[in-house]
Amino acid sequence: MTENPVRESRLLRGVHRTVTGLHPALESLVAAIVGLLIGALLMYIWGFDPWKAYWALLRGAYGGSYEWASSLARGTPLILTALTFAICVRAGMFNIGAEGQTMIGAMAAVCVALFAAPTGLHLVIGLVFAAVAGALWSVVPAVLRVTRGVSEVISTIMFNWIGRWLALYLAIYVIVDPMRAEKTLTVPVTARFPILVRGTDLSASIFVAVGVALLVYFLLWHTTMGYEVRAAGLNPTAARYGGIRNKRTMIISFLLGGAAAGLAGATMAMGLPPSYAIFGGGGLPELTNLGFDGMAVAMVGRNHPIGILMAAVFFGGLNAGGRVMQFYGSNPVPLEMIRVVMGAIVLALAIPELIRLFPAIKRQGERLFAVLRRRRETRSKEGEA
Amino acid sequence: MELERAGTGNSGGIRKTKEVALKRLLVVSLMLILGVSLLGMAAGKVAVVLDVGGRGDLSFNDMGFKGTDEAAKDFGLQMVEVQCATGADYLPNLRNVARTGDYDLIICVGFLLGDALAAAAAEFPNQKFAIIDVDYITGPNIMNFVFRENEMSALIGGLAAMSAAYHGYSAAGIVLGIEIPVLWHFEAGYRFGMDWGLKAYASHEGAAKNVNLLYTYTGTFSDIALGKAASEAMLAQGAVGIYNVAGPLGVGDHEAVAEAHGNLGTLFGPPYFYGVDANQDFIGNGFHGIASGMKRVDTACYMAVEAVVKGQFKAGVISLGLKEGGVAISKVGDLADFIQFGIKGGSVNPDDFYTIIGNWAQNRATIPGWIWDAVDKLEAGILDGSIVVPTAGTGDQIAAVRAQYTLGAP
Repeated sequence: MTENPVRESRLLRGVHRTVTGLHPALESLVAAIVGLLIGALLMYIWGFDPWKAYWALLRGAYGGSYEWASSLARGTPLILTALTFAICVRAGMFNIGAEGQTMIGAMAAVCVALFAAPTGLHLVIGLVFAAVAGALWSVVPAVLRVTRGVSEVISTIMFNWIGRWLALYLAIYVIVDPMRAEKTLTVPVTARFPILVRGTDLSASIFVAVGVALLVYFLLWHTTMGYEVRAAGLNPTAARYGGIRNKRTMIISFLLGGAAAGLAGATMAMGLPPSYAIFGGGGLPELTNLGFDGMAVAMVGRNHPIGILMAAVFFGGLNAGGRVMQFYGSNPVPLEMIRVVMGAIVLALAIPELIRLFPAIKRQGERLFAVLRRRRETRSKEGEA
Repeated sequence: MELERAGTGNSGGIRKTKEVALKRLLVVSLMLILGVSLLGMAAGKVAVVLDVGGRGDLSFNDMGFKGTDEAAKDFGLQMVEVQCATGADYLPNLRNVARTGDYDLIICVGFLLGDALAAAAAEFPNQKFAIIDVDYITGPNIMNFVFRENEMSALIGGLAAMSAAYHGYSAAGIVLGIEIPVLWHFEAGYRFGMDWGLKAYASHEGAAKNVNLLYTYTGTFSDIALGKAASEAMLAQGAVGIYNVAGPLGVGDHEAVAEAHGNLGTLFGPPYFYGVDANQDFIGNGFHGIASGMKRVDTACYMAVEAVVKGQFKAGVISLGLKEGGVAISKVGDLADFIQFGIKGGSVNPDDFYTIIGNWAQNRATIPGWIWDAVDKLEAGILDGSIVVPTAGTGDQIAAVRAQYTLGAP
């Protein structure tokens, strides 16, 4: 289908199928242009000047080192939550649970404020806390899926709510700052990620995010375990026939994803100036939607760690530039409109991957329907008896 | 700076021709935009930064916008509104606006922006800032505005307790947002007010009555359904009304009250709805809303802009209570004001202006004059300092207030 399959596989190994038959990078570019045009049309209809607005977006996202740093900072946690979704998609599952796992991870990271430790070690302890907490939060949906066949879509969504309210409870009543009851304890200086570019909020947490992305790439594409995970994802029956233990691959991918989401929470608690704390009093505004935005980043990045890194730079830029669109020049665009435009762009970019995933989505739906049908049949049989 | 930015915006021949084409298509709207921008070139600029709650709450954030907007119009300034999508946007937004150096004043609406403002103000010492609901940021370029919400909440509490006793209800309810220090001010005032109201009832009627306090921290400032659920539970336990202390949740609280009226087959009288921050008496066409504990965020924003324009900017903390007109219990004039505001925002139908006021007046008539007189007496007492309403800013303080005014709790 593509002109040079050998080079493609070297560039983005694992991305075999595309929707249009174009090179995946070219396909994404076309999708991005379509998205930008839709966004421009929407702004034009509502009386804003699309060219000026996009100019503000571009300037605000990549106009200089300050802007680049802001964009990368905004994209950092999204790399990690995107990995959560991507790993599980590769293993043939839809893990919607990054949102809740991120919140639990952030609360675990805040707990480093309860004790003292040397600089550096304190930070590492916080990261371990967050990763373990995030992974633990994904255990129950994983076990339910493996032992009882409970749809992970349903269970992770439910766990998002449990996680959210638990995190809120912890933030407001347990690890709360007694002097400033609207936020949690402040992460001490010894456990903070250092700021990389002065005057911006780009912190060293980006190294953690990129490191985890590269690690996931290595694990999935260069180890036996990763091969098994991907094989089980592509065709569970064939994989089982080939001697792969599907249950094991499911649990592994869930735990890995949970750890990544937990780390995303840690980057917010330990790497977001100026508070280095989570605001329970605002309803966790730093963490809300990180998990869901991460799903979009994963789709745009075609569920591939390297693609996710690029998509996160794009997403961070979109958000950082969106801030600037609100007041730049003579054509201020309200945030609501900016989010509509961003939604159009993201949707256009995600459509190729959504179509590619459609068979798996259909399979999920059929499984749910089968459960419902079985229940109805048993009920009607009981009625006959 | 201004010229430079205008220059970069218009450079490039291709873009320019496209602009011309667009202008022809959309002459009217572009003329408007141009007009505003030309005005802005000449005059100063003021920015209002809102937290994640954002516009459309008919309450806190909309009030911040309203006050700044009015001041900008009165003093001929250009106003820019900057919203935050997540908590990660607070500091970047403040930095983005401050580093342009174009703004005479940046107003932060809400305590969530406090840490970000402290950091930004230190980085940009020549930029003037103002913040609402925060009193701890020191610095030569920051005006802090706080409100004594306990004062108007005491008036609402007194009204609720007396009307509960009068109508034979066993309780009065208050539905709050997330348990944060600002909301403790409301709770402390409401508790004191209920206690005062019960004493006033006893001295007027010659017999004491017990009215319990029902209070819930819903843990949200956005989930309207939770406000409704909490209100329904309180009404089922015999609450005479619901005091909304969670901005937009008032819509849900009001819905629960309206449904209770539907079940009773009544239009006026108890249960009542008490609004917050803005005058929310107009919600639901004036049915059931009887009084609002107004916190004039708009007044504070206006004051800040006025101070900068008149060269009277003074760093420090400004506390606004009943005396300063910063908080108040709603009167008919306020209602008319806010209906107009609602009409402008599209949430109220212009034809309903007199209907709303009529409904509201009929509802108010279900509470006897002596209760309203007692509320006025409490207000006068707070104004002349003979009555001091307790407040709470820390966990220990609110625990002490809860212990002093138990109101039915064991």
